[in-house]
Amino acid sequence: MFCYHCGVLLSEHDYCTACGADVSLYKKIIAVSNMYYNEGLDKACVRDLTGAVNSLRQCLKFNKNHIDARNLLGLVYYEMGEVVSALSEWVISKNLRPDKNIADDYIEKLQSNPSRLDSINSTIKKYNQALNYCKQDNKDLAVIQLKKVLSVNPRFVRAHLLLALLYMDSEQWERAQRELRKCIEIDRNNTQTLRYLKEVELMLAPDESSRQSGKNAKKDEAVRYISDNEMIIQPVNVKEPKGSGLSTLFNIAIGLVIGMAATFFLFVPSAQNKIKTQSQQEIAQISSQLDEKTLRIQELESENRSLSDRLNDLEKDLQGYVGMGGTMASYDSLLTVSAAYLQDGDKLATADALEQIAQSVNIEEASEGFRTLYGALQAAIGPSLYEQFYNEGHDAYGEDRYETAITALSRALKYGTPTVDCYYFLARAYHKNGDTQDAKDYYNKVKELFPESDRVADAQKFLDALGE
Amino acid sequence: MISFEEELKKFHPSLEVEEAEAAIYNQDLTDMADLLIKMIQESEQKAEEV
Repeated sequence: MFCYHCGVLLSEHDYCTACGADVSLYKKIIAVSNMYYNEGLDKACVRDLTGAVNSLRQCLKFNKNHIDARNLLGLVYYEMGEVVSALSEWVISKNLRPDKNIADDYIEKLQSNPSRLDSINSTIKKYNQALNYCKQDNKDLAVIQLKKVLSVNPRFVRAHLLLALLYMDSEQWERAQRELRKCIEIDRNNTQTLRYLKEVELMLAPDESSRQSGKNAKKDEAVRYISDNEMIIQPVNVKEPKGSGLSTLFNIAIGLVIGMAATFFLFVPSAQNKIKTQSQQEIAQISSQLDEKTLRIQELESENRSLSDRLNDLEKDLQGYVGMGGTMASYDSLLTVSAAYLQDGDKLATADALEQIAQSVNIEEASEGFRTLYGALQAAIGPSLYEQFYNEGHDAYGEDRYETAITALSRALKYGTPTVDCYYFLARAYHKNGDTQDAKDYYNKVKELFPESDRVADAQKFLDALGE
Repeated sequence: MISFEEELKKFHPSLEVEEAEAAIYNQDLTDMADLLIKMIQESEQKAEEV
């Protein structure tokens, strides 16, 4: 300690041994200052940073030249996230004592990392902006800004406190409590933090006080008496636990039952749902396969029907060729008839056979060879048969056997070149046999086919008679 | 019950780096020792005048 007047080192006396100035009050001021410094140091050691700040500021009010107190105050500010305040204290400290000052190292460390200083400065700006947002009632934006601030500078106590206050205002008590716990970790005896925390804990456990009062009420249910120098408190309505082993087993059993119930109600339904979902997927897959198979079966059935129809058609065609009355049989019959005619020369039998063939086969649709052979046979037997049948018919007509005449003349028309007489007598035979319609037809044919014939006049006369 | 508006009044803007220099210059560093010295000097002056 040096004399404020002459700067000489002071002794234990209340005056300066060099200039004689009274230093008793000065010594007391310095002592109070030192006391505050010691108090601040103690508080800083137990992380009561707010208390340390107060004590150190008091110390500096008594003695501004207390370099250790100022440097410690800067450190405490730095720990609370107040970097600019810390820097200010260290700068003042360095100005008061330029040499051998630890503040120089602190400033150098801070300034050696400009990006860190910039980021801290930006967090301070964001904090100030968040504070403005709060005053403008933009609380959501304020919360966002404060979260950004704390992500860069997690020791900024004021930012934690403001965020906690915002959470409290929006009744997010648990979040507020979390922020306040962080504050407590940094600064254990911050009055503002403790006040907020008390409020938050009260909101989180509103019935605690009532429970406390209930406990007190129970506590009151006790008998108190003094024996010698000791107060004996004997609780009433409290029973000693009996059969603790049995109750333990009972509790274990209850636990097992609850566990089984939880398994049954929580895990079994989810497992059932999983199995059900798998089953539904399998069913859907099988249904899809079934649809494909059904479609394939329908295609095969359709193909089968088509093939069956084709087979039936082919069988019919084959039957038409090889069956009774088929083409092959007709060809065979025609060949047989031809062979018989060549061997025997029986024209009448040949004519009967050809007529039978003509009834079973459509000559126009038969093959060319068949038609040629059939025509050749008819040409061979035709003229002579015409003569034979015409004569037979004409004779029968003359003998009034009209049915025989009709048959014979009709057959005569099929062979050779028919004459006007053949038609005329056939018409007459029908007329006389009472078949007026056929009679009219053949009279008309006489008129149409032989218009120059003498028979035409007669045919017209009979037609008139029949009432054409 | 804590009032948000009342509590908000207790929060003040933090010093930014650009404002640090002005804050340092404007800080009143007068302490009790300064006041004592001033008082003693004043009393000595009065004594000399008398």
